[in-house]
Amino acid sequence: MSLFVEQLINGCALGSLYALFAIGFGLVFATLGILNAAHGTYASWAAIAALAAVQRLGLPFPLAVLVGVAAGGALGVAVDQIAFQPLRRRGAGMLGALITSIAAWIVLDNLAGVATGQDSLSFPTDSYPGGMLHVGGIAFSTMQLITIIAMLAATLGMHLLVRHSRFGAAMRAVGWKEQAAAIVGVDPRRVVLATAFLAGAASGLAGVLGGISTANVSYSLGEGLMLKGFAAVVVGGYDDVRGAALAGVALGILEVMSAQYVSTSLRDGITYALLLGFLLLRPRGLFGGTSFVRA
Amino acid sequence: MRIAKGAALVAAMLLAGGSVLAGPARAAALAPGDYKVGFVAEITGPIAFAGKSFLAGAQLAADEISANGWMGKGTHISVLVKDSASDAARAIQDIHQFIADRSVIATTCCILSPVANSVKPIVASAGIPLVIHGATLPGLPAPPWVYSMTVLPGPKDVATAVKMAETTKPKSVTYFLAADNDAFKARLGAARAALEKMGVKTAGVVSVLTADTDFTAPATQAMGEHPDAILIYTTQAPAVGIIAALRQRGYTGTIVGNDVLSPASVFKKLGPAVVGIPFPIGFSSDLATTPEAKAFVAGYKAKFGNDPDIYSAQGYEAIWFIAQGLRAAGGKPTRATLAKTLAAQHEVTHNVYGGEPITGGQIDTAGTTIVAWSADGKLVPWTGAK
Repeated sequence: MSLFVEQLINGCALGSLYALFAIGFGLVFATLGILNAAHGTYASWAAIAALAAVQRLGLPFPLAVLVGVAAGGALGVAVDQIAFQPLRRRGAGMLGALITSIAAWIVLDNLAGVATGQDSLSFPTDSYPGGMLHVGGIAFSTMQLITIIAMLAATLGMHLLVRHSRFGAAMRAVGWKEQAAAIVGVDPRRVVLATAFLAGAASGLAGVLGGISTANVSYSLGEGLMLKGFAAVVVGGYDDVRGAALAGVALGILEVMSAQYVSTSLRDGITYALLLGFLLLRPRGLFGGTSFVRA
Repeated sequence: MRIAKGAALVAAMLLAGGSVLAGPARAAALAPGDYKVGFVAEITGPIAFAGKSFLAGAQLAADEISANGWMGKGTHISVLVKDSASDAARAIQDIHQFIADRSVIATTCCILSPVANSVKPIVASAGIPLVIHGATLPGLPAPPWVYSMTVLPGPKDVATAVKMAETTKPKSVTYFLAADNDAFKARLGAARAALEKMGVKTAGVVSVLTADTDFTAPATQAMGEHPDAILIYTTQAPAVGIIAALRQRGYTGTIVGNDVLSPASVFKKLGPAVVGIPFPIGFSSDLATTPEAKAFVAGYKAKFGNDPDIYSAQGYEAIWFIAQGLRAAGGKPTRATLAKTLAAQHEVTHNVYGGEPITGGQIDTAGTTIVAWSADGKLVPWTGAK
């Protein structure tokens, strides 16, 4: 029984990383209409920035996380302005943005490889809370707890922002029709910049926490999150952060439990087969969803 | 500092040159000229950490061979590099380009066995020698076209597992396996058979995938089987992640690794978590004893500023082996005559292992050196003491 509970916690922690990633990914898709293939690189670069903050500036864990999150956000804005804004101005469709994002992904991935010396780096063990916690015979790491709490806080914060604030209403308005939003006084450019920053920051948080938990800071960090994050967004629904978060956690649990009780080799096959089955039953995802036609 | 580095490089080159006298006899001197070797490198991609070492070793060998005319007066050997990023399709493309370039006399390639397997039939049908510098799957060599400069790790793994069992007397063991890697499957199978023959029970096999990054759940699974020892048969990134996760979760039993733990970057990354974990090794700069090995270490340090690892040694040997073939072929060798000459070699004469016989295109070394990282980051012989 304790093995089952420990694996459940492992699945929740892993799924929390997928969820954090998915929140940002879904936000960009819902608001800006971009299927951003470069989103994974924000996670890689955030982890690299946080590691540099620890190693070169000697910053403590909370500040290093903030540096990573800010770096992810800044990269999100930079990519948006360099790669997507020119297309947006010309009214290019979703396909153009997707292809541009693939180019940005490859360039940023290559640069991340150069930045890490093509190596997989890791945070020094004394730079983060690395201890184990034991509760009633169940063992889990402090980082797992931090990851789950961070995911819950980010989900709640993002949900309140998008659904219950004026700015969130502006985001949804821009996501629905940019010109119409502008007519009623919304500044679409401000919304676009803020959305790109928030999405990059969420991905950055997933990257920093994932980089610490898996002792892997490299270009492959974001790649690992990309497919799972995308699946979580599809299952959870594009326009609801709660759905993306819930689906991300479910994906993590499914993955861990399939490996524990069925087969590691079939792990991803089982996970995605179940997701496919779910989508057949609920094609719009957990919390409804909207169909998108613009980029 | 620069003078010291230069002196070390010169010493290494002189020592390399000294083996002219000890080299095999040949019919005619090799014609002067630059002999190009196409090197399919893996300096980006998932295993670039190893790929850079392979290439550095090869470049050092080319420098040494060319500097003192080891193959003959006025002869040089140079390394043409194309990066495959460990992608089979790109490696095939690179090999095709080398085949098309008639100035390339031989090729060397591949760390991953599936990539080597993809390239193998192409070089055989095109008629160009290929020296595999990193892939470990048995059966890859096929003289006269394909040779392997990687010591088959299977027997070394078995020797390490047996030594561990004799020393620590475990009742049950759990294995970690890279389920998507045939070479590791075979290595695990051989070690498992040897241990079960000794009466060591298999508590379980935990499969992971090469691209996995989170090993918390697999570590929990393995520890749930309560084994006395855990043996790891995966590539480097998973092995590092597994050890980190096991240690973090408080596993105190014996862990047995494999040769992927030998690069200094592994100690740098894992620190105390990897100290005392036994694994077999073919070459270590900390344990170099022969004049060739010492010269290799000195030359490498002078050129690159750090110690060579097993991967650099394999890249180094690949170029020396091709040079040996060219020197023995003499005259104006073609790809076909070079292949024929390479097939006639029974050992790599200039080697860093203290002996490197070749059988059926496959090199070997005598005995198994089992080492572990010490607390101060040195590779030391493993004694079994925790």
